[in-house]
Amino acid sequence: MKKRGLRFYTKIYFKIIAQDIKSKMSYRADFIISTIGMIFTNISGFVSFWILFRNFPSINGWSYHEMLFLYGFSLVSITPVQCLFDNNWSLRQQVYTGDFIKYCFRPINLFFYYQSEVFDIKGLGQLAFGIGTMAYSWSKLDIGFSAFMLLKLIVFLITASLIMIALQNAAAATCFWIQNSFYVLDLAFKFKDYAKYPITIFSPVFRFIFTFVIPIAFIAYYPSYVVLRPDEVPLLSWLSPLVGVVFFIISYKIWMRGALKYNGTGS
Amino acid sequence: MGKIIEIKNVTKEFKVLNRREGLKGSLKDLFSRDYKIVRAVDNVTMSIEQGEIVGYLGPNGAGKSTTIKMMTGVLEPTSGEILVDGNIPYKNRAKNAENIGVVFGQRSQLWWALPLIESFKLLRDIYQIPQENYEQMLELYKSLVDIEPILHKPVRQMSLGQRTLSDILAAFLHDPKIVFLDEPTIGLDVSMKAKIRTLIHELNRRRNTTVILTTHDMGDVDALCRRIVIIDKGKMLYNNDIEHLKGFFGSYRTLKIRLDGDLEQWAQQLAQELPDFSVSADDEWISVLVDEEKAKVIDVLAGLQKKYRIRDMQLEEISTEEVIKKIYEEGVQ
Repeated sequence: MKKRGLRFYTKIYFKIIAQDIKSKMSYRADFIISTIGMIFTNISGFVSFWILFRNFPSINGWSYHEMLFLYGFSLVSITPVQCLFDNNWSLRQQVYTGDFIKYCFRPINLFFYYQSEVFDIKGLGQLAFGIGTMAYSWSKLDIGFSAFMLLKLIVFLITASLIMIALQNAAAATCFWIQNSFYVLDLAFKFKDYAKYPITIFSPVFRFIFTFVIPIAFIAYYPSYVVLRPDEVPLLSWLSPLVGVVFFIISYKIWMRGALKYNGTGS
Repeated sequence: MGKIIEIKNVTKEFKVLNRREGLKGSLKDLFSRDYKIVRAVDNVTMSIEQGEIVGYLGPNGAGKSTTIKMMTGVLEPTSGEILVDGNIPYKNRAKNAENIGVVFGQRSQLWWALPLIESFKLLRDIYQIPQENYEQMLELYKSLVDIEPILHKPVRQMSLGQRTLSDILAAFLHDPKIVFLDEPTIGLDVSMKAKIRTLIHELNRRRNTTVILTTHDMGDVDALCRRIVIIDKGKMLYNNDIEHLKGFFGSYRTLKIRLDGDLEQWAQQLAQELPDFSVSADDEWISVLVDEEKAKVIDVLAGLQKKYRIRDMQLEEISTEEVIKKIYEEGVQ
């Protein structure tokens, strides 16, 4: 068998993505409208956040700018899942109609092949917005700046993205076992909204759930400690990268197991 | 010539929930463990030689797709052995995928938004086809079909015929040893069907590609296959040459006549008059299948001529279509 390593997959990935973007750009009206839509979604999200903070100067000891940082952090960390794994949203439909079978006949990794098919370019606007928000709040917070801090930030952003991706993969993969899995996926995606807040505002029960069962607290809350409050970093924050990697691997295994047991519909 | 596919005593069973009717039944089903075992493929044994075109036939739900899914590695057989070019497909799905091409008539496997040539380039990279071979294949395609008009067209804008054509070309692109074609001509017009048949035939001849073809269109079988395998309710009914099969029906003749007016209506009327024979109509002819052991064709014709004004007539051997129809209805004795 021909060898297909990381280099092969990287090359293929960029070629497929380039084609996908090219074809999306060719539908200009579609592209412009969805970009405008994305901008409004971001603005309205920010406005509701801002109104909240006009009324409460701090939440559970977290100041406005700290919260803003958390907000920007969560926006950036959900960008990869939005841009690179958007095809998970059509998985249910493809499995239901039997179209998914086409992915089973290629000599490359099934998960890779499936996810590579769609690149959601709209997520890039959100990325810019998130970076902007983080940069602004960072400048307002009196925490200084160093290359090491930036490195930590990047590592923890990757971690957070992995958790978000894992959450979505696992949720999407439920469609291999249950018919009406849209709610699962939708629910998983809604959790990202909770990721924006410090989990200390939730009751102990939810705090436990969001830490150990559905680890969304690792998306923004625990990682942001490392940058915002380096003196009081909880132990769990340092565990974040590990949680991210492990959770991603588990979700990948679940996804692949579902895909391999898939046997299509009659034709 | 060696055997490229070997299937030995293959059985595939599915566990199906016994569903009850109505809302109340559905609620009960939620807690039910009442499964029944359905045998989709039942102890099938066959082998296929390199370079053959085999027609894999059977009524809807006979187990054709299930067999193909096992050969392509999507499904694991419940029992029995499958070897495709020496590989066990289910265990080596990716390796098996290098050797095969697959076309499912109604589901395109190409990138929906991309022009065909871009899909070809991606496939070239995925299958790691050497540039030289890739260009040779494109040259071959250009000599066989007029692909220029579709080469730069996104798949989503293509007509069904163009899409099927593209899918077939894509399946042969990496020069696989075996190509599975599942109803490749379904829904196509007469001229497109002919084009696709010629293409499959030429690709098989020039690249010595083994082709396994499932279809409900006996035109495909007549144009392409010498050997057919018939399966029904999971069991293999027949596995040999078409001519051999027609030999079983040596005493049958097809009497074709043409009458004025709506042929469908005439056919219905004749079917009532001639209860012993099967009567059908197409665009041009009314066909009466006569078993000469029961009645002489000439007598049937004479009887009809007394009552109707026959415009034109033809006498033919039994067609593949009628043979297959008889086998689906009555089985092989």
